[in-house]
Amino acid sequence: MKRIEVKLSLPVVAPLLDVIKGLAVDLEKSLAAPGIPAESDHEFQTAWTEELIAAQNAEVRLLLGLFNDEFFADGVIAFDEENAEPIVRACSALRLRLRFGPLASVVDEQLEGGKVEIDRLDEPERKGFMCYLFLATIQELIIQHLDSSIIGS
Amino acid sequence: MGESKTYTSPASHSATELALEGGWRVVVLNDPVNLMSYVVMVFKKVFGFNEPTARKHMLEVHERGRSVVWTGLREKAEAYVFTLQQWHLSAVLEADEAH
Repeated sequence: MKRIEVKLSLPVVAPLLDVIKGLAVDLEKSLAAPGIPAESDHEFQTAWTEELIAAQNAEVRLLLGLFNDEFFADGVIAFDEENAEPIVRACSALRLRLRFGPLASVVDEQLEGGKVEIDRLDEPERKGFMCYLFLATIQELIIQHLDSSIIGS
Repeated sequence: MGESKTYTSPASHSATELALEGGWRVVVLNDPVNLMSYVVMVFKKVFGFNEPTARKHMLEVHERGRSVVWTGLREKAEAYVFTLQQWHLSAVLEADEAH
């Protein structure tokens, strides 16, 4: 099984985990990217949303599970063919929640163009932005190294 | 990527008519968050697109704000929208007025 291990800096990543845990709680009852087909009845809409939320939360929990005691001992997290897909999705959900939460005041052009002036951000925004970049890095790593595993699964 | 839009219900066809005629489009809308590489990967995974086709749709979403990625029966179109939402892409169903 193809597997990648990433060694992270504990002092850098540990504060970001608090942000991620907060976002995970925030996501428990709502979708990161809501949208239900119109013309569907209430029962259908409820089932649709509940199923998506359950999947979303299971994936976010899986991501948080990477940062366990072992991680705090050696600073290493690992991705493989089994966890790559749910983790890359969890990162997407968390980034969306960050974008429309702590980073809501940052304009799209700055965020997309990498032109965010970190010094102008307040503390929650700065942490949120670091977290946003961290999650994108995880996604890039997985896509770069495990894309074929995800596509093939 | 860009701003999102809400689903507009069809004006001139009933849902039953359209379901029978197979006139539904799966439309992916732009969002300012998901990475281009991520969107390409999702298109490849969900629709079985090859790399150039996936990239073409991704760029259409990015530059025009939306891309029609699939057309057909409502039931299957709904399933695609559901799957795309599992991947946290903004996807909606639209009636295909050509049918």
